[in-house]
Amino acid sequence: MDRYNYDPFHAIADPGRRNILMMLTKEKLSINAIADNFDISRPAVSKHIKILYEAGFIAISEEGRERYCELSPKGFEEVKEWIVFFEQFWKQKMLNLEKLLIKRSNKKPKK
Amino acid sequence: MERDIILEWWYPQGPEEVWECLTNAEILGEWFMKNDFKPVVGHKFQFRSKPIPVFNWDGIVYGTVLEIVPLKKIVYRWQGGAAPGKVHLDTTVTWILKEKDNGTQLRLEHSGFKGMKNLFARLIMEKGWKKLGTKRLVKTLEKLSNGQI
Repeated sequence: MDRYNYDPFHAIADPGRRNILMMLTKEKLSINAIADNFDISRPAVSKHIKILYEAGFIAISEEGRERYCELSPKGFEEVKEWIVFFEQFWKQKMLNLEKLLIKRSNKKPKK
Repeated sequence: MERDIILEWWYPQGPEEVWECLTNAEILGEWFMKNDFKPVVGHKFQFRSKPIPVFNWDGIVYGTVLEIVPLKKIVYRWQGGAAPGKVHLDTTVTWILKEKDNGTQLRLEHSGFKGMKNLFARLIMEKGWKKLGTKRLVKTLEKLSNGQI
């Protein structure tokens, strides 16, 4: 599938991919070095890296014959924005509910 | 346990009244979003609001009712993305109602932001990314609340 797939939540929902990101917090690593740390096949590691790259979590550069990965803040920003967005969203909805409940109880005849 | 969004709110109305607002599709439409919700386990429904392009969201939430405990608890799956079938978010929303001080304590949990908060903590420590997008974020939120997006 060559379709551009910008999907940060899906990208970091996988524990293997989160491990890769954790490894990269310390240093920039070649794809081979990353693969050496996993029991899964080299193509499987490449697939994880592709997903992380497309979701904006890592940048890839070529040095000689090796391809290196390092963290990129773009994907993290996106995810953080969603979380902050929802925090605001829910607060607003709770306030809306408060107003509506008052409106509804005023409509009802008091006993 | 995963770190989630949790909000608690107290309302002076009783649980029956709050429950009605959380489960009646027409009333939900007044304060929450337009929807075809039914408090029936397994029921698939949608919440519809304005699309928010900056968040790559078409404004539609795809829900499935997972659990219903009358007057006490509602759980649904909450999925959404840039277009139908494109899931960016696969999360769970839980509402818990408790009678308290002649009113209702309402707790909201939005969970499933899998492992993300831990990752952020680690990044801030290791990489010093303290300002991870905060400036852009504040601007976006200001625009959102001013109705510019």
